[in-house]
Amino acid sequence: MTPTSRGWVKVAEKHHSQAQALVALVLFQVGPYRAALEASHVLAMTEHPSAARVIDAHSLLYQGDEPPQQPSRWLTLRDTPTASTWQLGVNGEITLQQLPAHSLYPIPTLLQSRRHSPALCGVTFVGQQLVLLLDANKLKLQKP
Amino acid sequence: MNLEPSRDGNAEEQQATQTLNEALTAQRDDESVVDVDEPTQQLVLFRINGQRFALPGSAVSEILPSDQPIYYVPGLPASTEGVLHLRGNIESVISLNSLLDLPTPEAPSSGMILLVKAAGIRSGVRIETLDDVCDVAQSLLQPPPETLSRSLLPYVTALWQIDERQALALLDPEALFDAYQQGLG
Repeated sequence: MTPTSRGWVKVAEKHHSQAQALVALVLFQVGPYRAALEASHVLAMTEHPSAARVIDAHSLLYQGDEPPQQPSRWLTLRDTPTASTWQLGVNGEITLQQLPAHSLYPIPTLLQSRRHSPALCGVTFVGQQLVLLLDANKLKLQKP
Repeated sequence: MNLEPSRDGNAEEQQATQTLNEALTAQRDDESVVDVDEPTQQLVLFRINGQRFALPGSAVSEILPSDQPIYYVPGLPASTEGVLHLRGNIESVISLNSLLDLPTPEAPSSGMILLVKAAGIRSGVRIETLDDVCDVAQSLLQPPPETLSRSLLPYVTALWQIDERQALALLDPEALFDAYQQGLG
């Protein structure tokens, strides 16, 4: 096998594994937009905040360009380094979905330095609807 | 019928023959000019807010129709229209109006989108109208004058004086993207 053909095999294997991979996401509403967090960060969902640290997702993501909305649900998120938890206030229908890894797109390079929230890490589509992908580790570092 | 040419007619004939010779000579001159391999540059000519601009053809990988769906992404500056989903890739779409200090259109943008690649970054750029894609002799592209508006100067690499009344600014896509990333526009 030549190095070139070996390379092709590697590329093909990589694409095959990406096509097979699924990522579990918790989808919710932030204002009028659909957003998602990796499900492994979400421990529980409650109707009322109970953790010592609670943050409304709306205030983290938007710079006041959308009217604020009271959270209807609170997602309890794991803060791995400190082994503690915090809660994120969200709205709308909350669903657990497994989406193909190849359908998750990183935020375009040009926009990375201009986003209000560094937690906005990508986008995907469920049906024809855009879903904002959020990085839970960066969300927790933001100040509301 | 008098076939003998009059003195005036003879003069005209001589003049015509001379003109033909001149024309043929001029044609040969023209051919020799064409034979000279004058460097040209492909430009994509377009307008934003009625003003004429161009981008190097080498930087424009695709011209997308105006009905391409754009998905708004919140939490980004107003100069970002959103993202588009193109054959399995996500591309940003920005407007240059703010960066070039041009008025923001009141109605939603409806012009075509140029897919521009520069400095390893690819993004859609909304234009108002597409005028042409053509090859222009390098000699026609003049350095931008110092009198060019300060808002345009950082992004214009050359001016093409199309006629006495109209000039076109050749934009530097790398400078545009760099400025956008720095928070301008």
